[in-house]
Amino acid sequence: MIPAIEFKNITKQFGNLKANDNVSFAIRKNSVHCILGENGAGKSTLMKILYGAYQPDSGKLFVDGKQQNFHTPHDAINAGVAMVWQHFMLIDDFSVLENVILGNEPISGIKIDFKTAQKKINDVITKFNLGLNPDDKVEKLSIAEQQKVELLKILYRKPSIIIFDEPTAVLSPVEVDEFFNIITKLKDSGNTIILITHKLREVIQIAERVTVLRQGKKVYEAEATEIDEDILGKEIVGDSSFEIASETKLETDGEKKVAILEKAGLSSGGYSKLNDINLVLRAGEISGICGVEGNGQNEIVDILLQLLSVENGTAELNYSSVSVVPDDRIKKGMISEYTIGENVITRKMGFEIALKAKLKKLSEILIKSYDIRTPDYFTPMGNLSGGNQQKAIVAREIENQSELIIFSHPTRGVDLKSSLFIHDEIIHVRNSGRAVLLVSSDLDELFKLSDRLIVLYNGQTVKEYEPLELKSRLKDAESFTVEVGKLMVGAGIE
Amino acid sequence: MENLLSIFSVVFLSQVFRMFTPYFFGAIGGAYSERGGVINIAIEGFLISSAFSFAVVNIFTGSIILSFIIAMLVNAVLSILFAIFTVKLKTDHIVTGVGFNLLIAGLADFLIAYFFKTSSNTPRFEEIPTIEVLSFLPFLSDPLIIVAFATVPLSAFVFFKTRFGLRLRSVGENPQAAESLGVKVRFYKIAGVVLCGIITSFGGIWLASYQNTYSQGMTAGRGYIALAAMIIGKWKPVNIFFVCLMFAFFEALEIKLQIIGSFIPSQFIQSLPYIVTILVLIGFIGKTRPPAADGVPY
Repeated sequence: MIPAIEFKNITKQFGNLKANDNVSFAIRKNSVHCILGENGAGKSTLMKILYGAYQPDSGKLFVDGKQQNFHTPHDAINAGVAMVWQHFMLIDDFSVLENVILGNEPISGIKIDFKTAQKKINDVITKFNLGLNPDDKVEKLSIAEQQKVELLKILYRKPSIIIFDEPTAVLSPVEVDEFFNIITKLKDSGNTIILITHKLREVIQIAERVTVLRQGKKVYEAEATEIDEDILGKEIVGDSSFEIASETKLETDGEKKVAILEKAGLSSGGYSKLNDINLVLRAGEISGICGVEGNGQNEIVDILLQLLSVENGTAELNYSSVSVVPDDRIKKGMISEYTIGENVITRKMGFEIALKAKLKKLSEILIKSYDIRTPDYFTPMGNLSGGNQQKAIVAREIENQSELIIFSHPTRGVDLKSSLFIHDEIIHVRNSGRAVLLVSSDLDELFKLSDRLIVLYNGQTVKEYEPLELKSRLKDAESFTVEVGKLMVGAGIE
Repeated sequence: MENLLSIFSVVFLSQVFRMFTPYFFGAIGGAYSERGGVINIAIEGFLISSAFSFAVVNIFTGSIILSFIIAMLVNAVLSILFAIFTVKLKTDHIVTGVGFNLLIAGLADFLIAYFFKTSSNTPRFEEIPTIEVLSFLPFLSDPLIIVAFATVPLSAFVFFKTRFGLRLRSVGENPQAAESLGVKVRFYKIAGVVLCGIITSFGGIWLASYQNTYSQGMTAGRGYIALAAMIIGKWKPVNIFFVCLMFAFFEALEIKLQIIGSFIPSQFIQSLPYIVTILVLIGFIGKTRPPAADGVPY
C-alpha cells in the first residue's frame, strides 16, 4: 500500500544547525502517527516542510505516492495536507464562521453566501460533535473551544492528512479525552493523523506508530504495541539519566499556615466565579489544585496575588511576599524584547540601576544554576525556546525567595527534560520550607508533586485529599485518576 | 433665543453638509486603510493633493470631469507609493505618513508659486454643478454629497458581506492567520491603502470645488479630524457617518454663532466636538478597539 506520506532523506540546515538530518520514514494511510522529540529535535521543521512553510535543502517528500514540492501552505492545503497549529491562528474579532470560511468563502453574486457557509459548518460541527456556535465571536471562547475552531477550520477544507502540533498542551484531562474521541472519528472517516507531542501517556493511548527525532535525526521508530513509557523516554532524551523523577516527599509538619481561604466567594460580570472555596496553604507543603480550566483556578491565583479580593467569606493572607510562575509565560511572565537579566531586574521591587555588568552577573547565575540554554547573555527572551523561557521565569521567581510561590501550569508546552528539571526545582522550593501552590491541568504532574490535592469544580473546592490520604490513594494511581477525573467534571457532587 | 432657533434653517443644514463631506470621505477612506492594518495619517496630505490637482487641471483645461479623474489618479498614484513604503518596505506607518503630509503640502505650495506666480491661492474656477432634477433638495443636489451618502451602506456591505471585506479585515486583524489560509496579505493591504487614497480624493475635490479655488492650508487639519472621527466611529461606516455629522454640526454652529453674535462664547461651541471626542476616547461611550494588527508592518 502506498503510504500517505513518505519522507526520503530530508535535510534542512539553518546556519550551522542541522534541523533535519537525513530523515526518512513513512506514515501509513488512515493511521494515527506520533512524532516525538524534545524542543529543538526537528519535529517542527519537518512538519513545516510537509506543510509548505519550509523547503528542504535536500531529500524528497511524497504525498500519496506523488513527489511534492510545496512552496506555500496553500499548496499543501490544495494537496490535502492541513495543520492545526499549537499557537492558534485565529482572528479574535471575527465570528467562528468568519474564521472558518476565510480563504475559502462560498460566494453568491458579489457577496459571501453566509447561508451555505452556515450549513456546511453546522454539518461538520454536528458530525464531530464540536459543540460550537458559528456566530460566536472567537474572543469570547475558552482555549479548548478555540482549539475546536482551529480544528473546524481544517475540517471545513476536507483534508486527508491532518497534522496536530502539541494539541493537548492546553487541554485538561477531560478535554483531552474529548479530543481523542475526535481523533478517532477523524480516523474512522478515513483521515491520516500526525500528532506531535511531549506527553508519553497520550502517545501510548492513541498512537498506532511512533517516530522519535533527536537532534535532527530519526533515532527510533516502532509500532505502538512494542513501546512503553520507559523506552520512549530514553529514546527522546538520549542519555541514560532519564528517570520518572524523585517521588520522595518530606514529612511536613505543615504548621505554619501562610494563607487561609474560608468559604471564599467572588463574582464578575454578573457571574459567580468562586463560591465556597476552602483552601489552606502551608509552609513546606505543595498544594495542588486540579480542575478543568476555567473552574476558578485563575481567580484563586489572583486573590493570592491580591489582584482580586473576595466578596464573601474570608481570605487571610499571612505571607510577606509572593511569587508566581504564570500560566501564560509570554503574556504575563516576561517582556519578550528584554534579556534574561533585564527581565529579572524588572521584577525586583524598588530602585535598581541596570548596569550591563550587573545584568550579566544576574543572568550568568541563573543561566548556570538553572541550565538555561541561550546563545549569550544579551539574547532577548523572546528568542529562546519555550522550555528555556519557562526555566528562566521559574529561576527568577524562585530566586526571589518569596514565602509563597504559585506555579500555574509550570510545564505547559515545555519539553520532557526541562519539565523534569522544573519539577525538581519545585520540590526544592518546598523542601526549603516555603509554601507552594501548584495549578495544573496535567494530572501526572499534580500526582507527582502534590502533598495535598484540592479538586475544583465550578468555583468550589469539591474535595481535598490530605497528605496521608493522598499518599495511600496514589498507590493505585489508575483508579485514583478515574475518581479525580469524575470529581473534576462534577460527577458525584450533590 | 429667537436668534438661536433661527440657526436651524435649510441654509444651516447645507452648511453642515458642506463641512461634513471632507471629514466623511477622509474618515471612511481611512477605515479602508486601517481595516487592512495600515495606519494612514497621510489622509491630510491626500486631501491636499486631490484638492490641488483638481484645481490645477480645472483651471488649465476647464473640464470638470477631466480634473476629477486626474485628482483621483494623483491620489491613486500617491497611495500606491505610500503602500510600497508601508507594506512592501515595511516602514513605520506614522513616520511615512508624516513624510507624505509634509512632502505633499510643500509640493503644493511650490507648484502654486510655479504655475500661478503667487504664494497663496489659485485663480478661481467653476465648481462641480449640482444635479438640477434634485435642486428642490437644497443640499442633496450635490453629486459628491450623494456619493457620500451612498458610500455608507456600500462600505458597510463591502466590509462585512463580501469576500474582499472579510479578507481585508483579516489582514488587519491577524495577517499570519490570513496567510496560513492562503489570503494574499500584501495585495489586500495595498488595496486598502489605494482605496483610501481614491475615496479621500472626493473630500479634497469637494473642498476645492465649493470654494472655487485652491488656497494654501485650506485643508486646515481636516485629515486629522477625519482620523479622529474614524476612531470614534470604531472603523464602522454608519458610526463614522454620524460622528462626521456631529463634527460638522458643531463646526457649522460655531461659524453661525460668530456671525450672529450670541451669549454663548463661540470658543465653547468650538470646543464641543473635542470634548465629545475626549469623552469617547476615555470610554464614556464605549470602548474603541482598533484592528489588532493596525500599524504593524507585515
